[in-house]
Amino acid sequence: MDFYIDALAAVLTLGPLLAMIGATILGVFIGALPGLNPVMAIALLLPLTYSMDPLVALGMVAGIYNGSMYGGAIPSILLRIPGTPASIATTFDGFPMTEKGEASKALKVACWSSAIGGIASAIALMTVGPLLAKVTLLFGPAEYFWIAVFGMASVGVMVGSDPVKGVMSATLGLLIGTMGIDSLSGQARFTFGQTWLLGGLDLIVVLVGLYALPPVLQLAEKSDFKGLSAAALKLQAIPFKSGEIRSFIPTWIRSSGIGIAVGILPGAGGNIAAFLSYNAAKNTARDQDSFGKGNPKGVAAAETGNNADNAASMIPVLALGIPGNVVAALVLSALVIHGLQPGPQLFHQNPVLVGGFMMEMLLTSILIIFLGGALATRVFAQFQRLPGVLLVPSIMILMCVGVYVINGRPIDLWVMFAAGVAGYFLEKVNVPLAPIILGMILGPMAEQSVRRALLISRGDPSELLTRPISATLAIATLLVLIWPIAKSIRKSRAA
Amino acid sequence: MKFSTTLACLAATAVLATPAVAEYPERSIELTIPAGAGGGTDTSARKLAIILEEALGQSIAILNVSGSGGSVGATQFMQAKPDGYSLFATWNSPLTTVPQVQNVAYSLDSFTPIASTSETAYTLCVKSDFPATDGAGFLEELAANPGKYTYANDGIGGTMQLAAERIFQSKGIDAVAIPFGGAKESLQNFLGGHVDIYGGSISTVLPHVEAGTAVCPIVTSAADVPALPGASGLAALGMADKETLLWRAILGPKGLDPEIVAKLADVIEVAVNNPDYVAFLATKGEVPNVVKGDALGQRLQNEFDGLAEVSKALGL
Repeated sequence: MDFYIDALAAVLTLGPLLAMIGATILGVFIGALPGLNPVMAIALLLPLTYSMDPLVALGMVAGIYNGSMYGGAIPSILLRIPGTPASIATTFDGFPMTEKGEASKALKVACWSSAIGGIASAIALMTVGPLLAKVTLLFGPAEYFWIAVFGMASVGVMVGSDPVKGVMSATLGLLIGTMGIDSLSGQARFTFGQTWLLGGLDLIVVLVGLYALPPVLQLAEKSDFKGLSAAALKLQAIPFKSGEIRSFIPTWIRSSGIGIAVGILPGAGGNIAAFLSYNAAKNTARDQDSFGKGNPKGVAAAETGNNADNAASMIPVLALGIPGNVVAALVLSALVIHGLQPGPQLFHQNPVLVGGFMMEMLLTSILIIFLGGALATRVFAQFQRLPGVLLVPSIMILMCVGVYVINGRPIDLWVMFAAGVAGYFLEKVNVPLAPIILGMILGPMAEQSVRRALLISRGDPSELLTRPISATLAIATLLVLIWPIAKSIRKSRAA
Repeated sequence: MKFSTTLACLAATAVLATPAVAEYPERSIELTIPAGAGGGTDTSARKLAIILEEALGQSIAILNVSGSGGSVGATQFMQAKPDGYSLFATWNSPLTTVPQVQNVAYSLDSFTPIASTSETAYTLCVKSDFPATDGAGFLEELAANPGKYTYANDGIGGTMQLAAERIFQSKGIDAVAIPFGGAKESLQNFLGGHVDIYGGSISTVLPHVEAGTAVCPIVTSAADVPALPGASGLAALGMADKETLLWRAILGPKGLDPEIVAKLADVIEVAVNNPDYVAFLATKGEVPNVVKGDALGQRLQNEFDGLAEVSKALGL
């Protein structure tokens, strides 16, 4: 563990320090502006750092990654617009808190939770990283199939009051997820002869339209010319009740665990981590009905979960050379460009650099506590002072720029617009939108995994259940499905 | 007066619109890569772009457009303007293999070949406890156990699968192909023991060969590969004609000015042979290989025709 001391010394020099502070602030901004996302920012900035000290480049990655995961919470709470895909679950309770006048409290909870999730994850990376990498390898196609099914089962809890509409919405997501070239047979599905549909619909494009456009349209409906006055905006500091902070601790621990577990699985990602930890918080709470109506624990769970995914997602890339998401893939390319080979030998090749990167993941999480709160209240909350007539076009321009930059195709703007109009009307008839996104993420994962698993088992479906991890996940799925029903039966008996 | 101003403006516009090859490039170049960030094609192209930026005196913006074995990026790129400011850094498969199995909108004629940059072989690897870890023994073991072993590949009908099947066909081997999303996913499932054999690029599996967890009995090039000392090239196994390589090239859209092509090809040739770049390629098991202009077009056509035969025989 000696090399961590050397690594710390290397990180606490001017270049890496400035890179971390600057990048964390930048990350919060990128996360908070709908449409802009960390992957894009890192992909654009990382090549500029190839000629610099690798610790500067990696410090920048760490800062943007951690900062943006928290930043996404800010518009989720203030405007019900998720800044990043991973902050959808934050809107569930964050925005109701704002409506109750508790925006400042929600932002504080989000800030602390993000930092705690990030710190827990970085510590996991530094201490048990190589061990967790072994766990990663236990997950084959059969296990991935069950993870996807488990994730979809949690939709059941998110559908709200009308399960039929929830299932409809999830089915829509599953259908959208099947579009494009099927990677197992090479067949094009639902592309209608359009070459731009061969790659399917981009998740972020659909997400920005579906989630950001309806609140913007609602804002436009109000045709507000004044905006909030400075006095009305003054975020009231609602004091925490005694013992309230202590009551977050179980949520923080649980959500950190979930975030780390999802993080080490390549391909799963922070989006799922936030949903699953929100779901777990709601399922284990005594006051389930208060979730979705402004329960700070909902915000804490979602934000801890999505930040706890970050450092953990670096475990497979550093220990095995297998990137779990695009940010990890960019880190991999930065290491390769600097002549390093991610994989089992990486620690021996350059312990100071690897240890330093882990330190940077930790330090930037801590920085969120100091920088995040001030940025949210001093800067972003001020946007609400803009009258609607200015706020609406500004957000829409940002959305368009962000969506256009992803693939550089004008057609994506139409996809976003169509998704937004669909989302607007779906909300009017109370169809929940979250299951659409979950369906889009989990549907392809479930389908491809189950087909691969069956190819490997030569078509024998019993292999899906006879392996220890897949069997455990199958049982967990059943429990998640039965739990709410059992609870409501018990409740009706008691009544 | 007004008329002459208009005329002057028109003349100025005309001058601006004519591509002045001597001054090319005058602004930044966009380089489309039909693969995700962090992969072999991506890192090779990004590293090369750094050297090219210096040589051309202009910045190069990288655009990763991945999906469907590279056909999404190729399809998007073919619509770019042939002004020399949109270039395409690809590996051979999207151009020569993918069109055999996918109904793509482009053909070889949709692009202007500029120069190839580097090449490498694919490899087949097993865990160190596999019954046979030398080239000949490995093929015998597979032939003796039809349908027993699974091998991971980069996607259905991809170059990697065709490379393996060419070898398997000639030895009468029946192994079960499991398509994954890319070499990284293949590696994950190979290391976890979910598939028996890794099939994919050398660079991805190299760290695990050095760590002793993986052994590679075979490479798909005729010659042996210095980065993998234990692996047999196909010539040593008497199948030199079954060689399938992974190689990388830079292309432009259809109708690119031949002078720009010649200028870029020369700059690329120098950049690829830069000692820094050669050393970088070596760490990934790749070697420089520059074929320029029309010769590159011929190479693409030959490979396309050869693979068309294999995939027909496979019934893909």
